[in-house]
Amino acid sequence: MKLKHRIYKLIDISGLQLFDPVARLFFREEPQVQIKRITQFIVIPILAFGLFLLVWQIMAPRHTTKSGEVPKPGRVLDAAKGIWTFHNREKEKSIAFIASSDEANKILDNAKNRLEEIESSLIPAQDETIANLEILEQEWRDKNISPKIKKAANIEYEINSKQNSLKTELEELAGSIKANDKNAKEELVLRLEKLELQKSKWKIELAELKGTISILESKKYPLLERAQRKKDRLEEEKQYLSVYIGILTKNRNSKVEELNKKLVDYSNSFYAAESTKVMSSAKRLVRQKTRIEKTSESQYSAAKTLPYQTLRSLLCVFTGFIIATIFAIPLGILCGLNKTFMCAFTPFIAIFKPVSPIVWLPIGLIVVGGFIPDPENNALLSIINKLPIFSSFDVNPAFLASAITVALCSLWPTLVNTALGVSSIDVDHLNVARVLNLRFRERLISVIIPSALPLIFAGLRISIGVGWMVLIAAELLASSEGIGKFVWDMFNNGSSDSFAQMFVVVFLVGGIGLLLDRIMIVFQRLVSFDETAPSV
Amino acid sequence: MKKNIINKKYKFGLKILSAIALFIIADQPGFSQELDLEKEELKFGFIKLTDCAPIVIAKEKGFFEDEGLQVEVVAQPNWKTLLDNVINGDLDGAHMLSGQPIAATIGFGTKAHIITAFTMDLNGNGITVANSIWDQMKENDPELDKDKPKHPITADSLKPIVQEKLDEGEKLQMGMVFPVSTHNYELRYWLASAGIHPGMYTKTDIGGRTDAEVELSVTPPPMMPATLEAGNIQGYCVGEPWNQQAVAKNIGVPVTTNYDIWKNNPEKVFGVTKEWADENPNTHLAVIKALIRAGQWLDATKKKGIFRRGLDLVNRKEAARILSQPNYVGADYEVIKNSMTGFFYFQKSDKREMPDFNVFYRYYCTYPWYSDGIWFLTQMRRWGQITEAKPAEWYHKTAKEVYRPDIYLKAAKILLDEGKIDKSDIPWGTDGYKPATSEFIDGIPYNGKNPLSYLKSHKIGHKF
Repeated sequence: MKLKHRIYKLIDISGLQLFDPVARLFFREEPQVQIKRITQFIVIPILAFGLFLLVWQIMAPRHTTKSGEVPKPGRVLDAAKGIWTFHNREKEKSIAFIASSDEANKILDNAKNRLEEIESSLIPAQDETIANLEILEQEWRDKNISPKIKKAANIEYEINSKQNSLKTELEELAGSIKANDKNAKEELVLRLEKLELQKSKWKIELAELKGTISILESKKYPLLERAQRKKDRLEEEKQYLSVYIGILTKNRNSKVEELNKKLVDYSNSFYAAESTKVMSSAKRLVRQKTRIEKTSESQYSAAKTLPYQTLRSLLCVFTGFIIATIFAIPLGILCGLNKTFMCAFTPFIAIFKPVSPIVWLPIGLIVVGGFIPDPENNALLSIINKLPIFSSFDVNPAFLASAITVALCSLWPTLVNTALGVSSIDVDHLNVARVLNLRFRERLISVIIPSALPLIFAGLRISIGVGWMVLIAAELLASSEGIGKFVWDMFNNGSSDSFAQMFVVVFLVGGIGLLLDRIMIVFQRLVSFDETAPSV
Repeated sequence: MKKNIINKKYKFGLKILSAIALFIIADQPGFSQELDLEKEELKFGFIKLTDCAPIVIAKEKGFFEDEGLQVEVVAQPNWKTLLDNVINGDLDGAHMLSGQPIAATIGFGTKAHIITAFTMDLNGNGITVANSIWDQMKENDPELDKDKPKHPITADSLKPIVQEKLDEGEKLQMGMVFPVSTHNYELRYWLASAGIHPGMYTKTDIGGRTDAEVELSVTPPPMMPATLEAGNIQGYCVGEPWNQQAVAKNIGVPVTTNYDIWKNNPEKVFGVTKEWADENPNTHLAVIKALIRAGQWLDATKKKGIFRRGLDLVNRKEAARILSQPNYVGADYEVIKNSMTGFFYFQKSDKREMPDFNVFYRYYCTYPWYSDGIWFLTQMRRWGQITEAKPAEWYHKTAKEVYRPDIYLKAAKILLDEGKIDKSDIPWGTDGYKPATSEFIDGIPYNGKNPLSYLKSHKIGHKF
């Protein structure tokens, strides 16, 4: 087979048919057709996305709430960078904690210089910029905002004074009515009713005016806002650097060195000790040794950051997905093979399938809590935590409960599809198996499963999509360290960056969902007999 | 009965042990290096509120590390999950509401023996009402209709609004953060002091709405402003930065702070399970040491002992900067800075100095007072969370089961010997009861030694 065909095949199997026309164009195969396909499948989606960004950029600032503006794409990118910086800083701190003294000294100088630079030149410079911008801001406010506020305030004043004058007018009128003037009295009541009606209308109007005024007042001068954000970033870096330098000067190695020095003292005094003090100084010596051992293994407890949380979420979704598959496929095969079993099982599928993850999670927590009453010394948990990949992700009951929730929500598509796949096997195939006098096991392995595989994998593909969608909610509720917890934490922060961080998560979750889907497509294509398996 | 004896024996043993420990400490300077830690890697939980500061500062300023501890500090979604995680061992300890260890120990809600040897802060809460309610309050009391109305603002001007709603067949809805939170008791206290009934808890009504004129419901702190804006509640009582957030976003007006309701009231504590404390006595000591130092750092002034206003607190800006990191409180620095540096916006036009809005070290703040525990117990009884009348001894006994000044004093003694704190910082000779005080919004005096007569002195709620 020629290279070119190999490449085509690779593209086809890897689920990247998108690039098929590019490859074909590269080998000059029907260029016109390929260009048309490229426009259709690559250029148009890119243009559509560009259009989306444009609309977003224009629309975002128009939608302001009291909690803040909808962030523009640039702001979201900033937030993503912020998350990444935070991640890197935590990583740097962990590295600093375990660095050898030579390495520590080397980075220490850099860090100190940077801190010096920030403190003595960058922050003062930024302060100056801000001071200048504040003057400009005042001008901008006088020109653009204050007239509008004044206008609104004037209307407010007018309404209020109208209301007051009407009130006093009526009061005067009431004072002038004679006791027996029935008509005038009725007239007064009518006017009073009218005034009340008018008042309630004014009230709404006034509330609206107040709203506009407060929005106007909270409008910020974009340049000044940007400068202040820049200063905030510098202050944050300064804060980080001072902690970082603290860790570097007092890290694991220096602690161990200090402890070792003491150890020498202790052992000297132990060998010189009188018999009455031998035991106590021996104890001290031993204790010091264990302390050195413990210290030399200690790690900096860095904050959990989004990259870590994403990986843990992925692990969680796969754990749940595998649990779901282990149950769904055998049950599905049984359902497909046996009508009675299918009838018995249908109500369960019908009832449990639509149940939301939010309901499953507390149940999952109770189940897990029942099996693992004491997470610190639990055999199952410690076994799981020794497995190769799991060991670096601190599996706890919340993780297991989230995984079980994922399993409970995502097993249904696989189950139903497996049942469908098994029950729709070509009768001829089964007849052949019967003629060959195959036993059940052979029939299962060589006839039933292979012919049901394409549908099983179609089910699995839906399952993993559902699982990924469900996981975020589960993690959020269980506060299991993952993307869900990140979302909840950032939302709870209620800072001016919170909205933008939510948007970052949207793209992250979407991107990973897309990736998972693509992977499942590849599997699906690998097991399909026909070449027309779905590719979109 | 048997349990009691064991408890007494245990306590006696503990006293001897602590005496021995103190003797050894006194003998050996620099004992801190010798604390034989049972566990070095710890995980503490907190809720995103500025009063989690001692834990965060102890980590960021390296006070935990000085004790040889590596501590991970993890945000928790709500108070219930936080408590559950402490009980099931996922967390070693946590930032807790003062009422939580007590309620858990007596079995209101989840039952578990939680103890505390460290009070994290004083004051720090506010009561915020929606703009529309504030407008009506101003109509009811023209004195309030100023840029800077006179404080404290009582709920008297709220009463007609409540009555009007009741006449319409509705009840005013207000939010608080947890059934046993200080906020719940403070809000109830404020309402009841103006004759508004906030509702009773009964055996069957665990929502606490029986006979209520104003209905209180639980909302997690960070959700408060959004819930107020949505109109589901018309007011709330919560810690910072969620009152300042309401001002910043123009959705509500803080009418009073708990400093006015009860001057220098205890707010959060550091709680661990008794089991954990028994298994890790030295680690517990090390943690308390680090927390005391964090409190000291937070309340440090330029010149020792000189304190006039919030700006004298030299470390608060840095603290606000640290707290605004996304993994801690995460709100904007500007918002956190207000209350942390001793300022509070009641309205945009009404910025006031409140140097004691957050107290982390002064006024013997960090000491775990029995009398604080007893006040919470009286409130739990007053509102029916404790369903049966109890004798006075029960109050004292329960408070002593939860509040553990013995551990606190041991840690403080070590710090004193290391020269890290002043002798005058710690109330060494106290019996654990604060002097009687009547610095409440309604002036009713409280003496921790006499809980039953305190219960009797209130108009609304159980009297015995």
